[in-house]
Amino acid sequence: MPKKKIATIWLGGCSGCHMSLLDMDERILEIARLADIVKCPIVDGKELPEVDISLVEGAVTSDEHLREILHIRKQSKLLVALGDCAVMTNVTGMRNFFPLKDVIKTSYLNAPSNDAQGSLPSHPALLKLHEKTYPLQEFVKVDHYIRGCPPDADTIFHVLFELLHDRVPDITSMHTLKYG
Amino acid sequence: MATIDIQIDDRHLKATPGATILDICRDNGIDIPTMCHLEGLSDVGACRLCLVEIEGVRKLQSSCTTKATPDMVIQTQTDRLKNYRRITTELFFAERNHFCAVCVANGNCELQDLGYKVGMDHVRYPYLSADCDLDATHPQMVMDHNRCILCTRCVRVCAEVEGAHNWDVMNRGFNARIISGFNTPWGESTDCTSCGKCMHACPTGAIWPKSATMGKLEKNPAMIGELVKKRRMDR
Repeated sequence: MPKKKIATIWLGGCSGCHMSLLDMDERILEIARLADIVKCPIVDGKELPEVDISLVEGAVTSDEHLREILHIRKQSKLLVALGDCAVMTNVTGMRNFFPLKDVIKTSYLNAPSNDAQGSLPSHPALLKLHEKTYPLQEFVKVDHYIRGCPPDADTIFHVLFELLHDRVPDITSMHTLKYG
Repeated sequence: MATIDIQIDDRHLKATPGATILDICRDNGIDIPTMCHLEGLSDVGACRLCLVEIEGVRKLQSSCTTKATPDMVIQTQTDRLKNYRRITTELFFAERNHFCAVCVANGNCELQDLGYKVGMDHVRYPYLSADCDLDATHPQMVMDHNRCILCTRCVRVCAEVEGAHNWDVMNRGFNARIISGFNTPWGESTDCTSCGKCMHACPTGAIWPKSATMGKLEKNPAMIGELVKKRRMDR
């Protein structure tokens, strides 16, 4: 069986889902026998090649994330939303109740920890935040949803293991679902 | 005692006249999800989760408010009903702001359990990000409208069991809100006895004690039913 290709991607999230991914511990070796991890935020910044499975952490919060998720969908046979931010925006969506300019001002100018001389970030290389954050399925077809903040390493392993064996993982039963 | 014969999910059952379909199902181990029903309180059919199909009746009926009549033929687990339960559950999550990861009720929440039960891995509707207030004016408890699903269990327990009538519902539809007094801060209420029954009756993290920290909330909604039962003269 030829080795499959996996990518893991980090959009608007806290990287906690990737920490859970690493919590698979030695089972990562089992995954590595079946697939190559060709892109991962803690490995390198290469352009995303065509892959069999992409695990996407985080919500779509900006122009850059939107471009990325559309590209990821194009390059991936299977797209897996990894964790609550990707599935329902979670903590990243808690700014959706406020106008973006108020959120930015609170963070950079009026934060209690601020030295009263804060400045708004404006470097052209920075991503442009959207007024609201959205879950992945708002823009692209998502094939599988892994819930949890963060998801259990066991669930992530189960999904990868089943998908790498061309089986459909069972992650909607009462025993495997976990919000928060 | 006289009984009536009814049929539920192809099972022939005997039932007490006047019993609701939901009561009969629960007595016979037939699982129907509910949110607004709470043992000890009157039923209002608000959450629409307990809908069942009754032969000869075109519309779906809420089993908590429909009394069984002789020879009724009822279906409770059809694909159509399961689909509606999933949709209803998703709409609960889409309407208000339910962030389990930072909720005091995480791990002890009837709404969360409902999502698991109907196999909800994601919500197919847009999140409405409703503009909801949080009332922390009461010395011991908090009312967070972000997490309220308008089941009205708090309204009914306050009126029917405590007799204080502090809670009510204001507006309709998307704008409906649970209110204390005539929409005044909870802490200023002269009706509230601070008994905490609304907190125990609340199925989510909408009403919670200030002493509880994230994910550590413990509620005892069954206490309401026990209390009502113990108070009955004919027990």
